[in-house]
Amino acid sequence: MSHLLLTYSYDWSVVTQSLPFFMRGLTITIQIAVYSIGLALVLGLIVALVRMGPPPLSQIGFVYVQIFRSLSLYVYILFLYFGLGVAFHIQLDRITAGIAALTLLNSAYMAEIYRAAILAVDPGQREAARSLGLGTIATFVNVTFPLAWRVAIPSLVNQFTDIIKDTSVVALIGAGDLMYQANERNSFFQRGFEIYTAVAAVYFVMVVIVAQLAWRLERRLQRHLA
Amino acid sequence: MIFLDYQFDWSVITDHWRLFVQGAWVDVWVAVAGFGFACLIGLGSAILRQSGVPVFSIPSFLYVQVMRGVPLYVMIVWVYFGVANVIGINFTNFQAVIIALALTGSGYTTEIFRAGLTAIDRGQMEAARSMGLNRAWTYWHVILPQAFRIVVPPLGNTFVGLLKGATIISVIAVPDMVFVANELNVTLFTPFEAFTAVAIILVVLVSFFSAIVYFLERRLKLAT
Repeated sequence: MSHLLLTYSYDWSVVTQSLPFFMRGLTITIQIAVYSIGLALVLGLIVALVRMGPPPLSQIGFVYVQIFRSLSLYVYILFLYFGLGVAFHIQLDRITAGIAALTLLNSAYMAEIYRAAILAVDPGQREAARSLGLGTIATFVNVTFPLAWRVAIPSLVNQFTDIIKDTSVVALIGAGDLMYQANERNSFFQRGFEIYTAVAAVYFVMVVIVAQLAWRLERRLQRHLA
Repeated sequence: MIFLDYQFDWSVITDHWRLFVQGAWVDVWVAVAGFGFACLIGLGSAILRQSGVPVFSIPSFLYVQVMRGVPLYVMIVWVYFGVANVIGINFTNFQAVIIALALTGSGYTTEIFRAGLTAIDRGQMEAARSMGLNRAWTYWHVILPQAFRIVVPPLGNTFVGLLKGATIISVIAVPDMVFVANELNVTLFTPFEAFTAVAIILVVLVSFFSAIVYFLERRLKLAT
């Protein structure tokens, strides 16, 4: 076994030669991640509110969450990019299809995070606001949501790291992202270990940065509780 | 209406349903195998992390961070095209995806086992040790049976996550249900029907396993 490990001669220069490609891919990866995070945050909140609404709405919200959580990103992307294009002439471009897939999948996860956070707010807060004469919407915007937001932040940011990792799947429809560039460079150099180790490191660093931000944000938001 | 000019042809699915079932079966057993190894690695890694010996706990911590920070897709090609080259073993595509699922999954299972072990009162270990049980014996007969109840529901969720992740294994030509759908799509050009079928199968599978997790969660909670 040990002699096998020694017969492989590493050539890390393929990574430095690929850097311009990786940088181009990285900008697309970040672009996809940022758009998906922003859209999923908004759509997730809407779904959470629908899910917590009166009966016909709440059932629709429940079914949405159950179905949209159950699908995997790859299935979403294939469906949105190939399926809709052929059947309904809705031909999304690759990056849009990727963003749409990530948004739909994560809106379901985020809806559950928002819902848990909103349910965690002491009902007394809402009752107090209502008895002071605030309307339903004003109570939600000024009282419930700001309190729920602090609870939701850590889990939401956890979800951001999943989105960053999941952007790699968009490479499968040729979106030109980091993983796509890695596959291209691997075909060119035939140096899978070096190329994919480098790319894994880039994803890892992005995830660590976001997780660190989450940790700081969490401490900041809970400072008043200490 | 442009929406109406497409002739849906669901016979593509009904004629080839056996292929879809076989493909779905591949997804399930690959996920089960990956999950099994992920649990073994995770338990070992969690015990190392809890050992209190920095030489063991620090590598375990770093291992978890790396495994959770790398996308499954990257892990699969890294194992299949990268590691295979370096150690000179050509993994079959099945072996590669099971290893990748086990590695990715072990990052999550380690944290779950760690949470389970931490939740067991220190007094349990101390009491067992003072009664003359050795460390390994205490783990096996005292700590693990109690931790089991805590870890089962989150482990079930990890399995569901791996099952969803397993739908990507066709990237290295493992003949799962997405692979089947892609093949049908290439030959018959019916992507909407093929991918709808895959989506329905996946929703059914995930709902089924989630229901089991939910049931176990309630059972284990009532028992305490």
